[in-house]
Amino acid sequence: MSLLYDSFVLLRINHSLSLDLSFCGSGNLGKMFFHIVLERNMQLHPRHFGRDLREKLVSKLMKDVEGTCSGRHGFVVAITGIENVGKGLIRDGTGFVTFPVKYQCVVFRPFKGEILEAVVTMVNKMGFFAEAGPVQIFVSNHLIPDDMEFQSGDMPNYTTSDGSVKIQKDSEVRLKIIGTRVDATEIFCIGTIKDDFLGVISDPGTTS
Amino acid sequence: MPRRRDEYEDDVEDEDEDDAIDEDEDDEDYGTSRGGGGGSDRKRRRSDFFDDAAEEDEEEEEYDEDDEDYGGGGGGGGGGGGSRRRGGKSAKKASGADFFELEADVDTDAEEEEEEDGEDDFIVNERVDLHDEEDARRMHHRPLLSREDDQEDVEALERIIQERFARNRTEYDDDDATEVEQQALLPSVRDPKLWMVKCAIGHEREVAVCLMQKCIDKGSELQIRSAIALDHLKNYVYIEADKEAHVKEACKGMRNIYTGSKILLVPIKEMTDVLSVESKAIDLSRDTWVRMKIGTYKGDLAKVVDVDNVRQRVTVKLIPRIDLQALANKLEGREVPKKKTFTPPPRFMNVDEAREMHIRVERRRDPMTGDYFENINGMMFKDGFLYKTVSMKSISTQNIQPSFDELEKFRQPNENGDGDIASLSTLFANRKKGHFMKGDRVIVIKGDLKNLKGWVEKVEEGTVHIKPNATGLPKTLAVSERELCKYFEPGNHVKVVSGAQEGVTGMVLTVQGHLVNLVSDTTKEVLRVFSDNVVESSEVTSGITKIGDFELHDLVQLDNSNFGVIIRVDSEAFQVLKGVADRAEVELVRLRDIKYKIDKKISAQDRFKNTVSVKDVVKVIEGPCKGRQGPVEHIYRGILFIYDRHHLEHAGFICAKSQSCVLVGGSRANGDRNGNPLQSRVAQLRTPNRLPHSPGRSPRGGPPLPGGRHRGGRGGKDSIVGTCIKIRLGPFKGYKGRVVDVHGTSIRVELESQMKVVTVDRTHISDNVNTTTPYRDTHRYGSGSETPMHPSRTPLHPYMTPMRDPGATPIHDGMRTPMRDRAWNPYTPMSPPRDSWEDGNPGSWGSSPQYQPGSPRSRAYEAPTPGSGWANTPGGSYSEAGTPRDTTPAYANAPSPYMPATPGGQPPMTPSSAYLPGTPGGQPMTPGGGGLDMMSPVVGGDNDGPWFLPDILVNVRRSGDDAVIGVIREVLLDGACRVALGASGNGDTITANPNEIEVVVPRKSDKIKIMGGAQRGATGKLIGVDGTDGIVKVDDTLDVKILDMVILAKLAHSS
Repeated sequence: MSLLYDSFVLLRINHSLSLDLSFCGSGNLGKMFFHIVLERNMQLHPRHFGRDLREKLVSKLMKDVEGTCSGRHGFVVAITGIENVGKGLIRDGTGFVTFPVKYQCVVFRPFKGEILEAVVTMVNKMGFFAEAGPVQIFVSNHLIPDDMEFQSGDMPNYTTSDGSVKIQKDSEVRLKIIGTRVDATEIFCIGTIKDDFLGVISDPGTTS
Repeated sequence: MPRRRDEYEDDVEDEDEDDAIDEDEDDEDYGTSRGGGGGSDRKRRRSDFFDDAAEEDEEEEEYDEDDEDYGGGGGGGGGGGGSRRRGGKSAKKASGADFFELEADVDTDAEEEEEEDGEDDFIVNERVDLHDEEDARRMHHRPLLSREDDQEDVEALERIIQERFARNRTEYDDDDATEVEQQALLPSVRDPKLWMVKCAIGHEREVAVCLMQKCIDKGSELQIRSAIALDHLKNYVYIEADKEAHVKEACKGMRNIYTGSKILLVPIKEMTDVLSVESKAIDLSRDTWVRMKIGTYKGDLAKVVDVDNVRQRVTVKLIPRIDLQALANKLEGREVPKKKTFTPPPRFMNVDEAREMHIRVERRRDPMTGDYFENINGMMFKDGFLYKTVSMKSISTQNIQPSFDELEKFRQPNENGDGDIASLSTLFANRKKGHFMKGDRVIVIKGDLKNLKGWVEKVEEGTVHIKPNATGLPKTLAVSERELCKYFEPGNHVKVVSGAQEGVTGMVLTVQGHLVNLVSDTTKEVLRVFSDNVVESSEVTSGITKIGDFELHDLVQLDNSNFGVIIRVDSEAFQVLKGVADRAEVELVRLRDIKYKIDKKISAQDRFKNTVSVKDVVKVIEGPCKGRQGPVEHIYRGILFIYDRHHLEHAGFICAKSQSCVLVGGSRANGDRNGNPLQSRVAQLRTPNRLPHSPGRSPRGGPPLPGGRHRGGRGGKDSIVGTCIKIRLGPFKGYKGRVVDVHGTSIRVELESQMKVVTVDRTHISDNVNTTTPYRDTHRYGSGSETPMHPSRTPLHPYMTPMRDPGATPIHDGMRTPMRDRAWNPYTPMSPPRDSWEDGNPGSWGSSPQYQPGSPRSRAYEAPTPGSGWANTPGGSYSEAGTPRDTTPAYANAPSPYMPATPGGQPPMTPSSAYLPGTPGGQPMTPGGGGLDMMSPVVGGDNDGPWFLPDILVNVRRSGDDAVIGVIREVLLDGACRVALGASGNGDTITANPNEIEVVVPRKSDKIKIMGGAQRGATGKLIGVDGTDGIVKVDDTLDVKILDMVILAKLAHSS
């Protein structure tokens, strides 16, 4: 399982979300998780033919698919089940067999306008970067409330004039996505916290 | 115009009258145009209008003169009358060279000021010019006009009049002006020609005037028709004349004309161009942004404060570049060693600072504007800006696109923002045509409809039809272009299409009026650009990514010791993150500073001696970048350039010593090893003769220990199991052994020298683990497919020269040849049990004709001697051309005598001894022995022998492509090799399956590497080739050995 996914799981635990997938598509975090059925043609080496062909196929599928990102569906978080394995087709000359595999998986796809919670990973004068699982979100200083000022130093942060709210590394923020860019390998978003009910939800400074 | 000329000669009065009428008509037109306040074609007219206006201004005087003229001159001798007078006047006005000068002058002036709003300006100009003209006219009028017989002048005059009026007419009466008529006015072959004469620079006008003077003085002797000096053309004047000789004659004795140089004829087609005005009108008004062309401020942005059209001077506002210290020194008379072309950075003038340095600052009031200026050493300052009056020529006004930074600077001193409005309004003046496109989202920024959003529907000149994004409004609205601004919403993905950041793509963060803040896709920086310069786009780029041969993220050599990765490409320079570990050093280099691109794909070793190659994910475990992790992008001289997407500086690149990194988990590059179905498919295509394994027979023995015992091992799931390794660390350091089992990071090794199985850390075993790891099934294809070529081509050869000891060889021959045949005969019916052998060795065996020398005898064996017992291969294989063993089906049944031996995993030497009973020698040096030794890894059956070694030269043959030469850089665990293309491995690195790789056969005196046998891995020199044997001098031991050529591979040059 990819590193991306690992961090993602961590985040979900952070948010005390259960790993039960029933929450997908619901909840206050918007509809960024989807449980969908995808199809993929798997090539299997003849050496795997045998009793455990199916397991081989599935494990290969997991290896190939989990943690990847597609522009249309977003990040494939986990494969939850195999819907159907089609008839294998032997490739002439190679012995490889192609199986069309239909599988259910949980995908993570942020959308514009969505509210989500993320962990701040970096703060600089241009704004801050936060991550929600595999997704990196940039919140520009234009999109941070005007009363928050950048404070440079060892631990760069954005602080309100009265010092009551502080955004720094590892803070958890709730933000709204205002733009997404989906590459073959990553999803990058820009977000804003300049809106009602957005901003810091937990401050590492206060909790620790 | 000959007709008219005749007429003129015959009947001057008529002509005059005609002219007068024409003139009247024109006057009327002028009147209307004046009344109308300027139509669309006013510009053009104005030039003529000037003439007339000027004439009228001086009418009083001129009439007097006219009267005299008429009185004196016979030409215009007829009656008086207003019209007559005017006709005369028009004639006079057009007469003589002064007219030309005037015409030219006025014309250019007018053109330059076309756009000028202030009417006063041109009138002033007019007056100035006219004064000169007037003088000239006063001086020369009479003699000119009075010369009745002056045919040339009259002709020229008439022609000019004709031309001029014709032009006027066409201008004014648009209906009449057809293209044909226009065409008729163009010069033809019958007209006088235009010659280009070189003259002193800066004296063009003078020359023209001198010619005029000469013309006046000499009269008809001078046969040229006109002289033209163009302001924009230096060093040349045009002379209109029928013959070159006339031009020469006229130029004779002229000081400023270089008669020595050639006189050039202007082609007829280009004649019109000479007199048409090319230079675009300069639109200079206050608050226009301009750029300085010369001097200290070259390239600097300036704002026009005042324009003096008369003196062609402009007052501009600049950010001063003044070195106060130098100034102070100068003022105090101190001698300062002049520094070489040092340009002080632009900085606002601080008067107090200047005073502190004892620079005299005077405060003066400008009498014209009433503003106060600080005067320092003759320079005027206000609000920190330098006000400078410069020539119009020293500024460029076209296509000025101030960058945002520049504008920001200009705004700085007075923050009230009124400057912003001005700058933006002038920015719009510089908008390119076609700025708006259909479908653009726009917002109205001025007028009643302010803040109305909509989409562009249609663009006309100056007007844009928009579809408003609001209900209750008509479908489309026509809005002036200047009232519109492109509009973006936060989150839009856009591309910058002009300006300094051209090409950058990013997402819009916020929109502030005309400014768009966007975050760049690649650098994740926030940029500010004008919304005018941005279009919506879905593509992702970082702007310019390439200058010359160098691209973003390339590894480049800067000088002998420095190298780095290009992390940013600016308009003409690169930012390079230098390859210095533990310290991020960024250097700005120009294209010429870069020596070359380094595209060697080298691998390095991490802290634990794991091989790190490009794209492998590593983690930095020490140094300032500790904890960072990412794929390796470049490796050079032990320095890794790692890309960490969380790292925002330096485009995400981190530079670290390979020693301070550890390889992490999966490697992307190696991911293709198994995963790439295409590759494997390709691979498979090339080995159609792969035989199904016979489970019972496939000898799963590990690879042989070099010269050691060899016991059957378990078919390794883990590649390393069964391999022979050397322990390089820990208590068992130096021991050799065979891997029995693998548990995570520890492995169990059966030691060679002790009857003991020990557990060691996986990292404690020597490197050649990788290389010896038997991913064999692929290997042998490579060799097999390659080598069989040899024997098939030269089968006869050995027959003729049975130079070997017949005792030994026949056996080999008998045993092996069939197999070889098999190997490259894909249609061979299988003898299943033997697959490992046949698949594995045939190449090597076959290619070594050493087994054939005994051919006469071998023939005998091959011939139907099924009983021989070791002729095991089925007959089909013999069908190869050139060999006489066509049909030997009898072999099919015969099990190979090898077989018992091979599965047993016996030491390589055994077969040779066992099967060479007849060989008296059994000599260690027997080629046969060598051959067997070499093939011993093959014994491993399924996982056949580790053939390839790093640094050997190979041909990579991908399906469909030609073979490419390359150097093996690394042998991956699955037997695939990372091959750097190119004879010295300079090219790209690819991962090739073994069956795509063919070893380059070394030649005499090549450096070689031994790929098999006891000497495996050793390097040496091939000092001779004897048939299929190579005579090798091993580097380490300096022994001379005779080895099978098959196990010799040519070593790459630079490694």
